[in-house]
Amino acid sequence: MLEIRIRLFQNSQIINAVTRFASVVLICLACTTVRSQDDQGEPSKSIVEQLEFFEKEIRPLLVEHCFECHSRKAGRIKAELLLDSRQGMLKGGDSGPAIVASNADESLLIQAVRYDAFEMPPKGKLPAKEIDALTKWIAMGAPWPAEIASTEGPAHDVFDLQDRKEKHWAWQPIQNPPRPPVVDQDWPKSAIDYFILSGLEEAGMRPANQADKASLVRRLFFDLIGLPPSPDQVQNYLANKSEDATKQLVDQLLESQHFGERWGRHWLDLVRYAESRGHEFDNDAPYAYQYRDYVIRALNADLPYDQLVREHIAGDLLKSPRLNLAENFNESILGTGFWHLGEWVHSPVDIRKDESDRFDNMIDVMSKAFLGVTLSCARCHDHKFDAISTEDYYSISGFLQSSDYREVAFESLEHNRNIGVQLLELDDKFREQVRPLLSRVAPTAFEEMSQHYPPQTIAARDPSLADCWIVDYATADTKEFLSDGQLFGNRPRRLGDFYLSTTNGTSKLAFSRFSAAVTDNFWNAIGKQEANSPNQKSRIAGLPRSGRTLRSPTFTLVNGSVQCRVQGQGHMVACVDSHRLLAGPLHGETVLAIPKADGYQWVTLDLNRYLGHRLHLEFTPAVESMLEVQLVVQGASPEQIKSIENSRAQLSNQVARCVQRIESAIQTDASVSAKLGEIAETWTKERTALQQQIRTTSRLAMAMVDGTSEDEHVLIRGNSSNPGQVVPRRFLSAIDGPAPMPIGTGSGRLQLAESINAPDNPLTPRVIVNRVWHHLMGRGIVATTDDFGVLGQRPSHPDLLDHLATKFLSEGRSIKKMIRYVVLSKSYQMDSRVNPAAMEIDPKNQYWHHHPQKRLEGETIRDALLSIAGRLDPTMNGPSIPVHLTSFMDGRGRPGKSGPQDGLNRRSIYLEVRRNFLSPMFVAFDTPTPFSSMGRRNVSNVPSQALILMNDPFLTELASAWGKRACNAIPMAEAQSPAARVNWMYLTAFAREASPLELNAAINFLEKHASQNALTVRDEALWEDFAHALVNKKEFIFQR
Amino acid sequence: MNHCNRFRPTPVNRRELLQRFGSGFGLTALASLMHDPAYGSEARQDLNADPRAGMANHGLHHPAKAISVIFLYMDGGPSHVDTFDPKPMLDKFNGKDPSEFFKVEATQFNNNGKMLASPWKFQQYGECGLPVSDLFPNVARCADDLCLVRSMVSEFPEHTFANYFLHTGSGLQGRPSMGAWITYGLGSVNQNLPGFVVVNGGLVPPGGLDCFGSGFLPASYQGSVFKPNGTAVANVQPLEKSAERQRSKLDFINELDRLASDQFGTNDGIESAIRNYELASQMQTAIPELMAIEGETKATQSMYGLDAAYEPTRIFATECLMARRLVERGVRFIELTCPSVSGDRWDQHANLKEGHENNARAVDQPIAALLKDLKQRGLLDQTLVVWAGEFGRTPFAQGANGRDHNPFGFTIWLAGGGVKSGTVYGQTDEWGYKAIEDRTEMHDLHATMLHLLGVDHTRSTFRFGGRDMRLTDVKGHVVHKLIG
Repeated sequence: MLEIRIRLFQNSQIINAVTRFASVVLICLACTTVRSQDDQGEPSKSIVEQLEFFEKEIRPLLVEHCFECHSRKAGRIKAELLLDSRQGMLKGGDSGPAIVASNADESLLIQAVRYDAFEMPPKGKLPAKEIDALTKWIAMGAPWPAEIASTEGPAHDVFDLQDRKEKHWAWQPIQNPPRPPVVDQDWPKSAIDYFILSGLEEAGMRPANQADKASLVRRLFFDLIGLPPSPDQVQNYLANKSEDATKQLVDQLLESQHFGERWGRHWLDLVRYAESRGHEFDNDAPYAYQYRDYVIRALNADLPYDQLVREHIAGDLLKSPRLNLAENFNESILGTGFWHLGEWVHSPVDIRKDESDRFDNMIDVMSKAFLGVTLSCARCHDHKFDAISTEDYYSISGFLQSSDYREVAFESLEHNRNIGVQLLELDDKFREQVRPLLSRVAPTAFEEMSQHYPPQTIAARDPSLADCWIVDYATADTKEFLSDGQLFGNRPRRLGDFYLSTTNGTSKLAFSRFSAAVTDNFWNAIGKQEANSPNQKSRIAGLPRSGRTLRSPTFTLVNGSVQCRVQGQGHMVACVDSHRLLAGPLHGETVLAIPKADGYQWVTLDLNRYLGHRLHLEFTPAVESMLEVQLVVQGASPEQIKSIENSRAQLSNQVARCVQRIESAIQTDASVSAKLGEIAETWTKERTALQQQIRTTSRLAMAMVDGTSEDEHVLIRGNSSNPGQVVPRRFLSAIDGPAPMPIGTGSGRLQLAESINAPDNPLTPRVIVNRVWHHLMGRGIVATTDDFGVLGQRPSHPDLLDHLATKFLSEGRSIKKMIRYVVLSKSYQMDSRVNPAAMEIDPKNQYWHHHPQKRLEGETIRDALLSIAGRLDPTMNGPSIPVHLTSFMDGRGRPGKSGPQDGLNRRSIYLEVRRNFLSPMFVAFDTPTPFSSMGRRNVSNVPSQALILMNDPFLTELASAWGKRACNAIPMAEAQSPAARVNWMYLTAFAREASPLELNAAINFLEKHASQNALTVRDEALWEDFAHALVNKKEFIFQR
Repeated sequence: MNHCNRFRPTPVNRRELLQRFGSGFGLTALASLMHDPAYGSEARQDLNADPRAGMANHGLHHPAKAISVIFLYMDGGPSHVDTFDPKPMLDKFNGKDPSEFFKVEATQFNNNGKMLASPWKFQQYGECGLPVSDLFPNVARCADDLCLVRSMVSEFPEHTFANYFLHTGSGLQGRPSMGAWITYGLGSVNQNLPGFVVVNGGLVPPGGLDCFGSGFLPASYQGSVFKPNGTAVANVQPLEKSAERQRSKLDFINELDRLASDQFGTNDGIESAIRNYELASQMQTAIPELMAIEGETKATQSMYGLDAAYEPTRIFATECLMARRLVERGVRFIELTCPSVSGDRWDQHANLKEGHENNARAVDQPIAALLKDLKQRGLLDQTLVVWAGEFGRTPFAQGANGRDHNPFGFTIWLAGGGVKSGTVYGQTDEWGYKAIEDRTEMHDLHATMLHLLGVDHTRSTFRFGGRDMRLTDVKGHVVHKLIG
């Protein structure tokens, strides 16, 4: 390359020639570097001509097509890219330099106008002539006259994380504020009441009176267990004159199994719980209900909140996982299922983008649910308002990049892991017995064989293979040897290892002639898996993978063919960009059945489509089959394959010769031979005994598992095809600072969980106590329960929030205790009737001068109806009842069979949630679409709600059942007043008796309605209509 | 018609709002939301003054050109090069390898064939001389009413993403549909019908009913799915044996509600719930009235194709007629989905000829009739008609005789509602593969639609998840060249 430096002297003629734009006056002619390339060695055109070319052809083009977004005069500079100066172009924007002087093909600018890398200008491709001109100009070296660089840069908002942190309340430490003084010393009962009363007094208001006991009992039932009290329960409470009557009731409700169902549904809203994947065919999200049941159990057990968080983030990584008390299975790991409850796409064309969207949803849900921050807003740029940087986002993304999805055999997991440990000890014990015998009988051969252990890697011997290597199980360390379950043992079998080989019931000592990850037929009984759900089209769903899968390290595909040396039968799956829903026209090439063959063979996956992507391989043996994986390489040439084969064979032969010598030595030594026979016999016996204890079947659940430990790149502007710098994994820098987390091996999720739980993280406790308050008091102290950021609401009672958070932390992070604390306050127990004076001052009840009346959720309305109709089946847990499909619920992925209309009378939380076939009733009553955290449901009024309660066949059937039940419960003698029955029904539905006026109205209606419809007061049909009317009375769907 | 008198900006408070507007569908919900400080603009003044935030009761930002929208959703992605964007180069190079001419992007099926000439002839129609293929002989005769956008682009080559994107401005599930945004922003004129109605001819788009959802907006704004037959709407049919029997119950319910309110007080939620019952019972009358299409003249029925030999044509004819009747009743946003034809939706990965012919046969006559009918009744000016699929199709074949998805350039058209009629905007390259001039993104389409309705897309927002969400995300430009 020829580099010419030309100094332009002040010359008005030249200036006139080259500066066509008066606004940029060229006065100071400092050194301007103009590069000129000419491979042919021809002299470059004169610089003046080049600059003329620029002014005539290039600058007008830039002004017309680029400057609107990429100049200092642009309102908002896109992608941080300035094209109004040569320096700007060389410096570039988010995606790197826009031009490489003299190299048009390498210049992003050219790739963009050619619509290759980007499509610029966005409004339409430039004419070929203009693209040619730009190409030519860059080939010249992008000559640009010297100009005074404009100092008037655009006004940028500087992202100052520390400043934002200091200025926003949510990042500040939790205080333990003293009880504020109040004038009315008699009113408050608990500290909560002081905070509430103090606010009211300051604003010149009085709290409402204590609610009457009838209102309170219904309120507590709905708030704590989501079901109405029975007439007996109401009357018992009303009759209990003890001072502790309410306390007793609350304790009883908190102990009810229904508590977990009620609060579990609140929790499921936070984790976008659904049992199908949505997208085009709404495939099943298998075993999601195990997570739902886990949540219900955890809440009923009042699992300390930090443990709940830990199990969600990293329940698979706990040293001593929590075991189910009744069934002894691993509970903790079930919590991690929440990560995987999102939407999945079945045939994404851009598979990397699909992964980044999936991760984005996981990050969004995790950050909102536990931290009340909108981390997802920092995916494309630093957060617009909060102290959250893009680096924060991608540092969290690294935890996901290092983790993986699995369907875990959670019932057998701990049990079989334990057996695995015992097996290892057992094998080691016998090996120790064998070793001295071998060493005695054939000292040289045995020592020679031991020299190959650990064997050298082939790669080390043949440097030409270095680029191909993915994993060699001859040398794989613990970071590389990853597996789900025990089948492949705790490490690969190495060349020369001796082991107990059992074929057709006879066992003998054998020596390994290869190094490989090998299934141990000790585990053969594990294979049959839980039957697959019917709406599952994924090609790999039917493979018996859970607890039986070997996983390669994650690697980057640099060559499209991935070659594995394997023996046995089974499947290999290339998991590219963590994509697993293999149910569409694309990505079929990622699954390969290993063809039957004698001995070792090479199998090759053709993955050309995925060059440059990250992936790992998963190997699963067929049921009751063995599978051995020696090594995995990519892009090895036939010669290289041959070279691998040769060196393997050489090693193998060496070992074989040793083995031969050892074996013949054994044969010649009767005592050793006998001794070895005895050992083999006992060894076999003990193995068989242990084998009997294997738990061969297990329910499955979605869960996390650690993959290869890796950090994520920042994706510039959130664009997955535009990676920037790597950011190490860590927690939010506003809380933990910018230093990387010390992670070592694994994903680091356990450390992440500890940061979320750390006492100096003010978000976690505030967010959860605020959620409790929201559900009980109708609105959070921070009304935006999932957003404690700048765009969220400020806390209406910040001191109260901190008081609750402090108490929560000091009392073992118990959700039940927090609920108990709130509902036993006078603030909670206020009447819901509105005091007009207070309404004048505070029409929106910001200060809680009365208890808000709340509309029940769709699920609760259905549950209440089932309950009063006497139809509620209280069975807990288990597979969901398939969704009932009406003729309006149509579309791709519609299940072949509709669920029962009555949902088998189970509580609504046990009804299946299919993303693309949501219950019309629940949708009408604002059950959220499961796509993100929804800590606060909308409460809307829409006529379909009324239409459902008036005309839905199932709800009217329940109302009728309730009417019939009333007739049976309160028999009516001839000429007896219907009052008793009316009152019983009022008690059942509203937890109170009818007022005299209401009773009167009821009797009038019954008489009139009877006569109009040729019925008598003894007819059940009349009472069915009456029941239907009561269900449509607004009091039924509201809570006072 | 003076639109502005029908909508009033920013009411003073919710009671006043209710008094002024009665009980329009969106508005009752809005009213109850305004009560919640987490949403309402009043709340922001109280607790968290933030001038950036907006709220839906913004009324009109500028005079509207359209009151209602009819969205003719062409599910599956009609091929633009076979309908409204003729490409002679495809005839010339029929059967050649496309990669000789341009870089072929990744496709959904990865089964790319040769360049494929259109099996249909194009003819010029109307004074504007618009070329339309023989697939749409009837729509073609409305050429002078159409405003073609031949440079649409989408971001997604997969149905579900692209459907969500077209409907909601985002490729992911859970965002509010256009109709939801628009009724959230403007409410609805009709008191007895929902503001956002989807008439489902049989094909629910991939992505499911959530294409018509209200996302994070209140449920009041979700699309109400009607069927073009029977009772049309779920649960609208009283189960009581006689109307009197239901009336007697409803009167009794009212009485009980009043007694309870006297005794325990009330709140906005309960008031709105009571109002819902009035709306619901009005709907029980309004829906059968809407569905009484047998009262239309024989000529009208024939014009739409109610007597057509082909059943899918009859279904779509009913949908189009319902759309006109919904517009007449002041419904804000009406979406029609396609009827099922033998073969598939407009998604011809194979057998392009047969599949597109069936789909076109189902919709061509009814759409043309709808345009004519709206026009002759003076409704076309105030009704924005949008014809669009989620993407177009590749100029090269999939396999031998199909076409794969193409989001890089395709055609949609608009009519009525203040658009510039008889025009073509934008163009694709010579192959019809990529838009090269006046590229128009979904967000631009949405921005333009909102603009025509009198709404500034940047100022119609809803706060969710730490952001002021918009139909157009952070993007979108009003395409003024489309506006007449």
